[in-house]
This record gives sequence, C-alpha cells and structure tokens, in this order.
Amino acid sequence: MSLPEPIARHRESLAAWTMVAPALLVTLVFALYPVLDSFWLSLHHIFVGIPSLGRSFIGLENYVNLLRDPVAHQALFVTLAFVVLSTVLELTCGLVIALVIHERFRGRGLVRAAILIPWAIPTVVASQLWRYIFNDQYGVANLLLFGDRVAAYIPWLAYPSVAFGIIVLADVWKTSCFAALLILAGLQVISDDLYDAAKVDGAAAWQRFWHITLPLLKPALLLALLFRTMDAFRVFDLVFVMTQGGPGDATQVLQFYGYQTLFTEGRLGYGSAISVAVFLMILGLSLIYLRAIGSNLLERRRT
Amino acid sequence: MSPALCIKKTMQGYSSGEVRGPRTDLCTAAGRRSSLTGHVPHPSTTAICLLLTLLSLCWLASATAAQPPTDRAATASSDPVTLRFVSWKPDHQRVWDDAIAQFTKAHPHISIVRELAPHSSTAYHDLLTQKLKNRDATVDVFFMDVIWVPEFSAAGWARSLDDRFSPAMRAEFLPATVAVGRYGGHFYGIPSRIDAGLLYYRQDLLKKYGFAAPVTWEELARQADHIVAGEQQANPTLRGYSAPFKQYEGLVCHMLEFIEGNGGALLTADASKSTLAAPQALAAVQFVRDRIIGRLASRAALTYQEPESLSVFLQGHAVFHRNWPYAWELANNPTRSTIAGKIGVAALPGFAAGHHAATLGGWLYGISAYSQHPDEAWALIEFLSSHAIQKKFAQEAGIAPSRQALFADLDLLSTMPQLRNHFAVLQSAIARPRSPVYPALSHLLQRYFSRALAVDDIDLAQEAAITDARIDALLALTRTAP
Repeated sequence: MSLPEPIARHRESLAAWTMVAPALLVTLVFALYPVLDSFWLSLHHIFVGIPSLGRSFIGLENYVNLLRDPVAHQALFVTLAFVVLSTVLELTCGLVIALVIHERFRGRGLVRAAILIPWAIPTVVASQLWRYIFNDQYGVANLLLFGDRVAAYIPWLAYPSVAFGIIVLADVWKTSCFAALLILAGLQVISDDLYDAAKVDGAAAWQRFWHITLPLLKPALLLALLFRTMDAFRVFDLVFVMTQGGPGDATQVLQFYGYQTLFTEGRLGYGSAISVAVFLMILGLSLIYLRAIGSNLLERRRT
Repeated sequence: MSPALCIKKTMQGYSSGEVRGPRTDLCTAAGRRSSLTGHVPHPSTTAICLLLTLLSLCWLASATAAQPPTDRAATASSDPVTLRFVSWKPDHQRVWDDAIAQFTKAHPHISIVRELAPHSSTAYHDLLTQKLKNRDATVDVFFMDVIWVPEFSAAGWARSLDDRFSPAMRAEFLPATVAVGRYGGHFYGIPSRIDAGLLYYRQDLLKKYGFAAPVTWEELARQADHIVAGEQQANPTLRGYSAPFKQYEGLVCHMLEFIEGNGGALLTADASKSTLAAPQALAAVQFVRDRIIGRLASRAALTYQEPESLSVFLQGHAVFHRNWPYAWELANNPTRSTIAGKIGVAALPGFAAGHHAATLGGWLYGISAYSQHPDEAWALIEFLSSHAIQKKFAQEAGIAPSRQALFADLDLLSTMPQLRNHFAVLQSAIARPRSPVYPALSHLLQRYFSRALAVDDIDLAQEAAITDARIDALLALTRTAP
C-alpha cells in the first residue's frame, strides 16, 4: 500500500520551498546577514586607528559604555524630542491636509498632486533649501520678516533651540504630505451613508468629525504614526546637511552620532552598538504599534 | 596612438562642499543590491539564472577593473597604466586639468582618472577611508590632510615612501611640511602645499583710521570697535571680525590659535593629557565666548565654515578675517570680491605681544597601500610636487608652495609679494595633535568648543574638565594597546 497523499503534500511543499528559495536567499544575504554582522561587530572593540587592538571580543561592554556616554544621552534626548514633536505635528498637519483634499472642489486633482511635491524632493536637496531659507544674510525668512533692514537679520541656525526647531520644521514640511496620503486613503473608506445618517439625526459638522471621522480613521492614523515614528527615529540627512550636529550638539541625533563614530572615527564596534541600539528601539516601537493596529482591526471585525 | 587623457568626474560634489557625504557613495552598493532583489519576486529558474548572471557580471567587472587595461596600441617600452587619483573638488579646476594634461603628455602610457570628493575635509576623509577600509585596489594616489597621517599609517592604508622620498629631496621642502608627512619613523606623504592661519584685514579702513595691523586680540578688538563705529553711517552691516566657528574641523584649527596665542595648549608636551581646563586655555575660550561671538563677529559665525566666513569678508562686511593663504587670491579677484586691492595680510594676533600662533594645515600626496602601480603613482606625485607645478599652482591658484626655493623665486615673489611675509608664519605654524585617533579626538574638541561658544548657561571650567577626562581616556587607549 502506498501513501500517495503525504507524498504529494511533501512534493508540493518541496516545490513551494524551491520557489521561495531565491527570495529567501536574497533576504538572508542582504537583510539578515548585515543586521547579524552589525550585532556581531558591536560585541567587539575595533578602532581603525589602533590596529593593535585587533578585533577583541568584549561582550556587551560597548552597550554598557553606551548607557554611560553623555553624548549618547544628549543624542537620545534630542532624537526622542525630534520624534515626538515631528510626528505629532506631521499627523496634525497631515489630517488637516487630508480633510481638505478629500472635499470636492475645482482643481482638486491639481492640489492633490501639488501636495506631494515636498515628499518627492530628495531630503538632501530639501535640507539645503531650508538651510538657505534660514540663512543669516540672504535667507528668505529674514527678507520676509525684515525686508531691507539688514541689520536686524537673525542668524537662525546659530541658536541651539532654534536650530533644533528648524530641523523639526523642515521634516514636518517634507513628510506631512505622506501622512496626509495615508490618512486620505482612510477617509475614502468611510461610507457617506454614515454622514448622511448623522445629518438626519442633526449632528453638527464637528460632531460628525469627532464621532464618525476620527474613530474610523484610527487604523489609518496608527499606520501613519508607525511609518512616521520609524522614519523620524532614523533622521540623518537634515542634520548632516543643515547643522552637522551643532551648534553645541543641539541637533546631535543618534543616527548622526553613530555615523560619526563609525565612518569618521573608525570605531567599528562602538558605532555598530549605536546602530543596533537604534534598530532595537525602532523594532520595539513598531511591535507596540503593530499590536495596537492588530487589536484595532480585530475590534472592528467583532463589531 | 597614445591613450587619450581621461578625466572622469565620478564623484562630483555640491559646490558648497559639506553637503555631499559619503552616504551617497554607499548608495552605489545598496543600489546594486536592490537591483538584484528586484529580479526575485518571481521565483523561477529564469530569475535564478538572471541572478547568477548578474552576480558573475559583477564579479567579472570587478576582476577586470583590478587588471590594467590591455591596449593593442601599447608602446613596446611600457604597458599602458590607468592611475586613479582621488582628491576633493578644487577651487581652480582648470589649473589641475592643465597640470595633469602636462603629465600625461610626458608619460603617454599613463592615463589619469580623477575622482572628486566634496571640498569638506571631513566628508572627503569619510569617503576615502571607506574605500581604503575595503582595500579598494583602484585607488592609487590620494590627497591627504596633514591630520590624517598617523591614522593612515596605523591603519596601514598609506604606503611608506622612505625609499623614494630621499634625504636630498626632503631638504627641498619646508621642514614643517616634511615633518607632518612622517609618523612612527616612516614617510607617508609628500607635501603639495603649506597652509597656516593668517589675519586678513581691510588695509583701506585701517589706514583711514590710522591703525597698523594689530598684534594682540585686545588691540584688534579696539581697532575693530573704533572702525565699525566710524563706518556706521556708510556701512551699517560692517562687523569687526569674520571667521568660521561652526561645529566642524575648522573650529578646532581656529580655537587652537586662540589657546596657543594665550600660552596654552590642547595637550601636554608629551601628548599624554588634555589641558583644556588649564587657566590659559580657559581664558582664551572665555575671550572668544565673551568678546567675539555676537559682538566683534555676528553670532551667525557659529554657522560658518570657511567659505561662508570668507564670503562675508569678500562682500565688505568685516574689517578682520581669519583664513588660509589661498584666500589672498580670491579676495583680490575682482570677479569674486568687492574689496580687491584693499586688503592686507599679517600674522594672527596673540594675547601678549610676540605671543601668537597659527595652526598648520596643508595637504600631502600619498600612495595607497593597495595600489598596483606604485611606480607610476610615484611618477605622478613627483611631477605634481615639482618646482614648476607648485609655481604654477601658486601663480594661478594662489596656493602657498611647500618648496623652500619658491619662497626665494623672484619671478613668483613679484606676483605674490605676500609670500615673503608669510614665510615666518608658515615656518612656525603649530600642528594639531598627532594621533592615530585624531578624528575621535577632534570630535570631542569640536563638541567642547561649540558648546562653550553657543550654549547660554554653561560652566566652562566644568565642561573643560569633562572634555579633558574624555580625551585622556581616548589617548590612554592608544598607549595601552598591546
């Protein structure tokens, strides 16, 4: 007696594995391997300028040092402040933009396309634009505020807190439209019947927004929040182009600190530890978000 | 048929220099990866074949790149060789093109491929060291900042030039420039030029108010205040001083000049301990914080690298300006400058008469340890650092030469009379700390100086003590290494 079914199933799963093998292989080589290699590097003491140190294995010492490093503390604080401020502002602006371009009006297609322009500009170019806007001598910000009273011109980027604010502003300008796009997709799913029913019941516009739009937008908002938080955590280009972490480390963010440590200072172990720490923080945050989004979807299915 | 001169600008930087970073360079590797993954979503034999073909093509390309190109028109005497010369994007591209065309004319079997990195020293460092870390055999000759020599030597990136850079040849260069190319008893760099911090000033304005070039910083401050007050009506945007104070390498160069000019130092004489918390060093930093930032100089100087601070001076918005020798040519070039012919140049002031300091800068030519054409590379370096070419760079690009004889060259002195005055300053210029971990050391210094100048409420002595401790720990690492 043969067992045709298990063999057939076996053959099928073999075929399946063969088919996914290339994708799996590429993922392993190009995604998993670099991550694991970074982690492995982060357990070593490697200083390009001191080759006699070799590649000594030091366990978690880099991570212990990272916890004690005052520059890393400052960078973490700046990064978290950047993440919170920029995501809150981006979601708020994104929601407003989405509500506007969701309405029907003449030239809506044009406005929808135009709103994506900041997103389409490479971050390096956008950063340079913002640097010019806030230039102390020929920046358009000074021109608009003070006209030809050149003596009153403000060197915006020379003040630590202002420079930080400008980095946030540039990020909000550039990525609000991305949040808007995700939120717009959420808006389009909401059925008009709900609004019609609410209108019949005499609900005012803000009541309809508060009790219909916002609750039903929750999944889209969470998704936008997830993307924006992960992205904001990785902020690098804006700092690299506009301030190089200055003045006085006011815009020193973790990714830029990691970059300096790895590429300029040649501290491969410590720099990798910084990168892995950022990776773990983003991973942790996204797991929390995904759980929130997941439970949210389940809730909707139950109702 | 001789191989044509081949100049490829493979890594064109943005004009403002610091913008373009090595990140873009890394993208090429990432880009190749994503183009590979792009073929994967349809798992089939064709995809695998494609993948393998691509991989083998990449391998083939890299294998052939490492080989010297075979040219049927090769002369019988020597095989054609392609040299890759990495440098930053120069201000005077034409002068470089001319010099390299002269070289390839004299050496028809050698063609030169140039790679241009951003003008910012740090961005260029990151890009070049990334290639050297990967043992990139296509890099032959590179431009090397004087502060990189210990690191390049320790990491084994630069080839020792002991047997080529003969004692007779060494004697032809300024001793300071030869010394910075040496580390651990070996020579790694041939000086292309010399740089030292200089004080540029508005000759016309100083004359108008009856001043001579200032000798102390106090004197400079007094003169500047007087002139700025006097010119208030005619030029309301005129400030006393313009210099780069952004958080970057240039900040270390300039702050070193204040600290040494006050009898202080960054490190102890044996380079084992940091001395930022010493009274002279603290007082010098305090002076810059209290008297220069936001007063003599606009607070905007905290965002200036060299090009921005030079531009303020060229537009006639500053009485005094700190820069390297190359600024003379630009400041006197009427197409770039509104103050051409109105400027003077002198040694930077100190805090007491006779007590002044200039930071030593400059660039060296080095040969990569992984180059497969060291002989041809040396021929190029010999040519570029020759008397004739240095003279050309001095005359056409305003670059201060590193050859002693050029400072007595009457032909050159007739067009660059200021070289005679520079000589003493250049000879006595002070090098930044020489350490294989200089990039890390410099970041600690940049952080301290930038915080000292930009943060409102700061305990300077405490901040200096913390930085001292961190630098000491870093320096100890280089000594305790087995």
